[in-house]
Amino acid sequence: MMVNVGQLRPAEVDQTDTDAALAVPWNVVVHNDPINLMSYVTMVFQRVFGYPREKAERHMLEVHHRGRSILWSGAREQAELYVHQLHSYQLLATLEKASS
Amino acid sequence: MKPLRVVACDEKTVELTGIPPILRQCLFHLPEILRHRSQPGVRERLFPDLEPGNPRANAEWHDLADPELRHLFVSAEETVLRDLSALERDRVRVPLAHLAAWMSAINQARLILGELHHVTERDMDRTDLDPSRPKDLALLEIHVLGYLLQTLVDFVQNPTG
Repeated sequence: MMVNVGQLRPAEVDQTDTDAALAVPWNVVVHNDPINLMSYVTMVFQRVFGYPREKAERHMLEVHHRGRSILWSGAREQAELYVHQLHSYQLLATLEKASS
Repeated sequence: MKPLRVVACDEKTVELTGIPPILRQCLFHLPEILRHRSQPGVRERLFPDLEPGNPRANAEWHDLADPELRHLFVSAEETVLRDLSALERDRVRVPLAHLAAWMSAINQARLILGELHHVTERDMDRTDLDPSRPKDLALLEIHVLGYLLQTLVDFVQNPTG
């Protein structure tokens, strides 16, 4: 059934917008900083994402050389959990929409 | 001088050996450094935003995430300070389960010093450090604590050596 958006009450539109925003895949991005040790960052990527050492090192080097790396993409809730874990290890991590 | 090492004593305990005087001094300086945790600039580094350009999401995030992070950071500091009370000359025994707290507290201190002194990548490469200058002294501490952090990371990544 087609929904006429014009018939929806504002709250419904807001909810729909929110649902759509949450449904977009989200990137977990880690940003470079001058202090964190490369070996420490690699270890954190292995612990948080369960990545093998080689993959963790590739992401660490991408952060180091390009200033950022996308570590994971997917549902917002899981992405927020990953960001929280990365912050607990004191890495600079943010969320962004996968399309941006 | 003996090199800094982490040695497994048994399944549950390790010993940090070969702690040089300068590192010992930095370790006892940790409480003074970590009390700057909530200072503007430092706070933004230790409690970062979730989503750039989304103030509402960030405000909600800080409400939810910051208390837990703060608890984690403070309890890591308390664990390390308790362990340090047993430090003898150049060695200290530490429960294996405390190594995560040690890495957290040491890294917090390095990041706080970095923020307080606006340390850049270029600063980190400097070798002409003059400890009479506050920023250079901070860089020295960042490197000395980094030496210990690197040793701990090497151990937890490869405990059998």
